[in-house]
Amino acid sequence: MNGSQMQALMPILMLSLTAIVLMIQASIKRDEKATWIITVVGILLALWGAGYARDFSQPVTILLQVDNWGLFFTALVLLASLVTVVLSQDSFSSEGGSKEEYYLLLVLSALGAVILIQSSHMASLLLGMELMGVALYAMIAFPKKGLLPLEAAVKYLVLSGCASAILLFGFALLYAATGELSYKGIGEKAALAYISNPLLVMAGTAMVTAGIAFKLSLVPFHMWTPDVYQGAPTPVTGFLATVSKGAVFVALARIYMDAELHQYESLILALSVLAAFSMLIGNLLALLQEDIKRLLAYSSIAHFGYLLIVLIALTGSEMASEAVTFYLAAYILTTLGAFTVIARVSREDQQKSQISEFEGLFWRNKIQATALTIAMLSFAGIPLTAGFMAKFFVINVAIQGSHWFLLSALVIGSAIGIYYYLRIIFSMSKTSGNDIGFRDRSGDITALLLTVLILMLGSWPQPFIAFAGGL
Amino acid sequence: MEGLNIPLNHILLIASLLFVIGMLGLMIRRNIIFILMSLEVMLNSAALAFVAAGAHWGQPDGQIVFMLILSIAAAEVAVGLSLVLQVQRRFRSLDMDSLDWMRG
Repeated sequence: MNGSQMQALMPILMLSLTAIVLMIQASIKRDEKATWIITVVGILLALWGAGYARDFSQPVTILLQVDNWGLFFTALVLLASLVTVVLSQDSFSSEGGSKEEYYLLLVLSALGAVILIQSSHMASLLLGMELMGVALYAMIAFPKKGLLPLEAAVKYLVLSGCASAILLFGFALLYAATGELSYKGIGEKAALAYISNPLLVMAGTAMVTAGIAFKLSLVPFHMWTPDVYQGAPTPVTGFLATVSKGAVFVALARIYMDAELHQYESLILALSVLAAFSMLIGNLLALLQEDIKRLLAYSSIAHFGYLLIVLIALTGSEMASEAVTFYLAAYILTTLGAFTVIARVSREDQQKSQISEFEGLFWRNKIQATALTIAMLSFAGIPLTAGFMAKFFVINVAIQGSHWFLLSALVIGSAIGIYYYLRIIFSMSKTSGNDIGFRDRSGDITALLLTVLILMLGSWPQPFIAFAGGL
Repeated sequence: MEGLNIPLNHILLIASLLFVIGMLGLMIRRNIIFILMSLEVMLNSAALAFVAAGAHWGQPDGQIVFMLILSIAAAEVAVGLSLVLQVQRRFRSLDMDSLDWMRG
């Protein structure tokens, strides 16, 4: 590995350095304030590193692929981690005891996500995914009291571990068929191996798809999602919904493009079924929810269904890669905005995330109520928000590839979605008896910044589209 | 030296059997410790398939992935067992069915 390859790895190096410094700092003197500052500085340095590495885009050994597309998502993941760090600052501090280790776990999990985003080989995919996952189990179970976080952590550990095992077995079968572990190598040899040994390739591909669908919580692999979303501390839920799912989707897109999987009709059919079920069932089950975190869990299932359409239509359209970039960016910003407000409103008691808790929020804190409203409108895909432009891209791509069946599922799903997103907004505008205003500087500023970003992406998207096209 | 020559398909069959046993255990068992053990069986069956495939292609890659899986499984179980301790302390039970406070 030469110097310029090391420079290409700058974001990974910066995060690793932060993790080491945090460990040393915690062993010398436990001080939550200092830990928090080191974490923020470390993530900012990694963000700088992501910009710096743009001049050194190249494959780094066979394991990692540093390119502008991956670096953009690296920056997005780091931004989401930064928001999570800010939100975590005084969440679940009432539980007693300090939480230096929590920030260390968060940095490690972000490091895993960055590796996952840049991976181009099965081994780095495995390491990144598990580094991200194992740190997340501990983050979910971190609050010292309460039964729900523990229950969520155990469920997530068992089901995520099961998904990893399925994914690994699938890759083992593909390795047995092709003798390759890098995505490109598998893609080159798979077509030939398919002729001599169709069963092995089919079973391997199916298991890899199932494993990734588990992690993205696509229907019918979605059972863990609502429980984990509800049970985890709210900042961690936001982290899981943005960093973890986003990174896995980028990895899926990379496998899909590098291994040229779009030439296998049966795989496209399987992905179409997963996408249609996720859009319809995700939106339908969201209607029944009384807990806002569970509701967003089902909504995220539906959103990854929408995103899959882009992947399915990848070859039929020149806009597809821009559509993935735009949709994922819009989804991550909107989800962060929503969870910022939820974390602030239900902060005294982590379990208080019923929709009724949000009644009268417009009278209690105007900024956060507005931010949640914009986030919900963006989820629903109302014009002038990022979600509208994102959905516009998806529909455009689907029409170009003439995927009418998926398009109808998308339209029905979105129509159902509007009902439950608006329900939250109506609930906020109701007056309840005790509307005591609250002020909260860091929460207000974070929510405001994210709202501005969502509106900018939606009402003035040209610079970003040009930027995404150049990636 | 000529090693014992076992066809690749036989080992893959054994690995698939192990995988199915692990998966059934995961779904049927209710005790968290047994569920973690089943998880371990599933991960190790994948590792076995990797070693067999590596030997078939005459590459060291399979064994390297085996070692990665070994360390990852260890990390996963370390976190899993610490969660088991907490579950026993807070729920007074190791039954997975007692963990059903969330519904919907």
